[in-house]
This record gives sequence, C-alpha cells and structure tokens, in this order.
Amino acid sequence: MTTPAPAAARKYDLAFAKWVYQNVNGGDKLSLCMQCGACSGSCPIGVQMDHGPRKLFMMIRAGMKEEVLSANTQWNCTSCYRCVVRCPRGVPVTYILQDLAAKSVEFGYAKGRHENKNFAQSFWWSAKSFGRTDERLMTMRYFFSLGLGEGYKRTMANLKIALGMVKAGRMHVGLPHRIKGRKGLQAILAKAREIEARHGSAGE
Amino acid sequence: MSDKKTMTYYPGCSSLGSGRHLDESLRAIMPEVGVALDDIEDWNCCGASVGHIGGGQLPNLALTGRNLAKAQQKGTRDVVTGCAACYLNTHGGAEKIKADVKKRAAINEALDAGGLSYTAELKVRHACEVLVNDVGLEAIEARVANPLTGLKVAGYVGCQTVRPFAGTAAGGDYDCYDDPTFLDDFTRACGAEAVPFAHKTACCGGSVAVMSPERTLHLMKAILEEATKAGADVISTPCPLCQTNVEMYQPAINEKFGTNYNIPVVFYSQLMAVAFGMDGVKDAALHRNTIRSEKLEAMAKGGGKA
Repeated sequence: MTTPAPAAARKYDLAFAKWVYQNVNGGDKLSLCMQCGACSGSCPIGVQMDHGPRKLFMMIRAGMKEEVLSANTQWNCTSCYRCVVRCPRGVPVTYILQDLAAKSVEFGYAKGRHENKNFAQSFWWSAKSFGRTDERLMTMRYFFSLGLGEGYKRTMANLKIALGMVKAGRMHVGLPHRIKGRKGLQAILAKAREIEARHGSAGE
Repeated sequence: MSDKKTMTYYPGCSSLGSGRHLDESLRAIMPEVGVALDDIEDWNCCGASVGHIGGGQLPNLALTGRNLAKAQQKGTRDVVTGCAACYLNTHGGAEKIKADVKKRAAINEALDAGGLSYTAELKVRHACEVLVNDVGLEAIEARVANPLTGLKVAGYVGCQTVRPFAGTAAGGDYDCYDDPTFLDDFTRACGAEAVPFAHKTACCGGSVAVMSPERTLHLMKAILEEATKAGADVISTPCPLCQTNVEMYQPAINEKFGTNYNIPVVFYSQLMAVAFGMDGVKDAALHRNTIRSEKLEAMAKGGGKA
C-alpha cells in the first residue's frame, strides 16, 4: 500500500520569486530557466558555492528568500560569463548573480568584515573619490577594512608582490592618479543614485 | 589593411598601474598596423565587475555614460580598448544605452548634473577584434620584421575578452566562446609556435583572485600546469587582470601546492612589438614583466633591460 503523501511542511513565499523577477537586473528572464544545469556545470568554482546557480534559481522559485540572499553563490561568481553564453534559454546568469550580490548587501545579508562586500566598497571609494582605480590605495583600504590585524597580515603577505610591481614600474609611488573632472563625476554619480532611488534598479 | 584610421582610445585604470605594459605595447603596435589611437580626455574608471555593489546599478552605468560622453567629444569614431573589463562594461553599457530609451534618458539626466550629454551611438570595440576585423592577420604578418622563430606560446584568452560579446553582431562576431583561435593566430602571425592549450578560456579567478587568492589559486595552478605540459616558453594573454594574476601568484601557488612554476606571462601586443622589430623596452615594455622571459628578451631589439 502506498504511504499517504505528507502535508507540506512549510509554505513557500511565492512573492519572493516575483520580487526577483521585478527588481533584480536580468531577473525578468529568470522564469525562462528550465533547470538544465548548464550554468552550474560550466562554473569554474561552482563546487565552492553553497548552491550552484541552477539550484539557487530553483530556490528563488521556492521562495527561499533568507537562504538565497545569504548564500555564498553570488560571492563566488568570478564574472567569467561562461554560464551566460552557454545557457540554452538565454538567461543572463552572471548578471543575475551580480545583482543578487548587490541586493544581499543592500538588505543587510553581507554583514561585518565580509571580503566581497568590503572589496566592492573599497573599489567604489576609489572610483568615486579619484575617478579611477588606484590599485594600491584600494587594496590597502580593503585589507584594513578586514581589521587591523588582518590588514597587517595581508600587507605583509603581499609585500613581495608589491615591491616587484614597484620595481617593474607597475605600482607608482606618490599621489593617486586622479581625473580632473572629479566634481563633475561625483555630481553625475549622486544624480544617478537619486534617479535609481526613484525608479528602482531592475533592468540597469 | 586598407586606409589608416584613427580610433578613440580608452586605456582604463590598469594602464597606469598593473597593466602598463599592455597599454605601452598597444600604443606602439596599433599605429604600425594602421590604427592611430587618440585618448578619451580625462577618462574615468569603468566600474569593473564590482562597481554596482558599492555604487548601485545606475551610478555604475553612469561611469560608462561619462566615458562615452567624453568620447563623443572626439567625434563619432569607434572607441577601442585593450582591457577586458573596460571592454565588457563600456561595450555592454553603450549597447544598453543604445537599445533602451529609458536608460538613455536616465543616463543623460545624470550626465547633465556634470554638464555632459551623450547623444551619439558609439561603437565600443576590443583591440583584438579590431586587429582581426579591421587590420587582418595578413597585415599583421606583413608587418613582422623579426619573426619569433622557436618561441613556444600558450595562448591564454581568459574570459571577458570573448565572453559574452565575441560571437555577437555588435561585438564584431570575431571569434567563438569556448575555443577561440584569434590569439593563436596572432602568435603564428608573429612567427612563433602556438602550442595546444586546453585552458585557453579557463578563468583565473578575476577579482575574486585579487580579494581572496585562497579561493582561486587552484584555478591559476591548472592554467600553469597545462601551459607547462604543453611545453610553453611563455603564456600570452590579452587581459590585464589575467596577466597580473597568473604572473604574481606563481610564488603563492608554488608554496601552496609544492610546485615550481616560473613561467613568463606576456601580452600578445608585447609579442607583436618584438616581432615588428620594435624596441624591447620602449615599445614591448618587456621590463615590466615581473617574471622575465630571457628567450623573448634575446629576440627583442635592444633586449628587455631598461
């Protein structure tokens, strides 16, 4: 005799999938996913992820908001775009993961001394302040954002690389490389932020 | 190669730091094959692969918006860049702004705050695509005065130079995603030997390798292992981040895996500069590689010592 099917243990929150479709860059194409797994199979460090992209997308459909936004999947994406070119359904997988990362930060799921979050924030600090990436200052800011001890440890671990780069003329000593139009750039970025707050970020 | 042309050049941030040798060698070789480069005035960062996390999607796109607005001041010439991330963001951003009227309006509203506007529909191209489609292999080969005979080269394409745009019409349809041939074609045009290299489009770890090497050292190790097995004297790449990662982490890889890698990683444009008979330092910038190739330097005019 067949055992009777169990009652659903929990309710899925379908509103989350809809929210992703509407608010995450590329999310409008997520409903095309047919769960073939070409993305996860193509991923260079998929095995290091809590869940590969295929599974993460199913979890989105299952309404598993907490698990999705706190997964390390979006933080291990190296932006190699192999999943994007291989997806037979045209789902922009990398773009979706990249924006899920931004959403994880926005809604407080990437807390404290978080490598990817801190790296991204150090990067943006340089882009916004100088108009350019100053590889030295951005890296130092990132290292020390992880704590004084960690900052010292990483600085020491990378000292030899840094000295080699200085010797080869690939790391300069002196003031950061800055654009002339910093004020104009900062006004542009502030305005863009304001427009995004007005309209939301989906489809950017 | 038909007539000489001028393109608007976007060097990108690495051109002032870790990728100086890409910028210097590109500036040397491009005019030699008929493409003059004219820099975007006061260009800014492209946002790379993490800008949207710190800044937001629209502000990140506004970085590209400003570069395009500044490029437009140079006329409607094509924009060219040698950096994979700059290409990815600037080409992708330009196409998005072209296709989406709302996006175009939003970007222009933001640009207006800085006294700029973008009304053109500029084409943003990768230097490799320009070399394939506009210059052509025959013209490159014809310019070679100092063939790199006997140099074995593993062509490491990496990711963003070909993905996701190389096979699209807007991206110039110049090669495929998984087994591109352009880099080996460049190697052979220079008179060197392109060794079979299965990891040509494997990922080095990109910015994840920069922020936490521990997560990605094994990816770079696989690339080095394959290049060694293939008997390569040097690895050649078009990507500034691939070049830096795969070069600078070799000691860390050796320490972690008990290996003994010390393979030079150079840009295709450095190989071309040497093969064109140009100066090993001033044009090929061989002195900027932290792992030097004695074999390549011996072939270069004036050697590679600064």
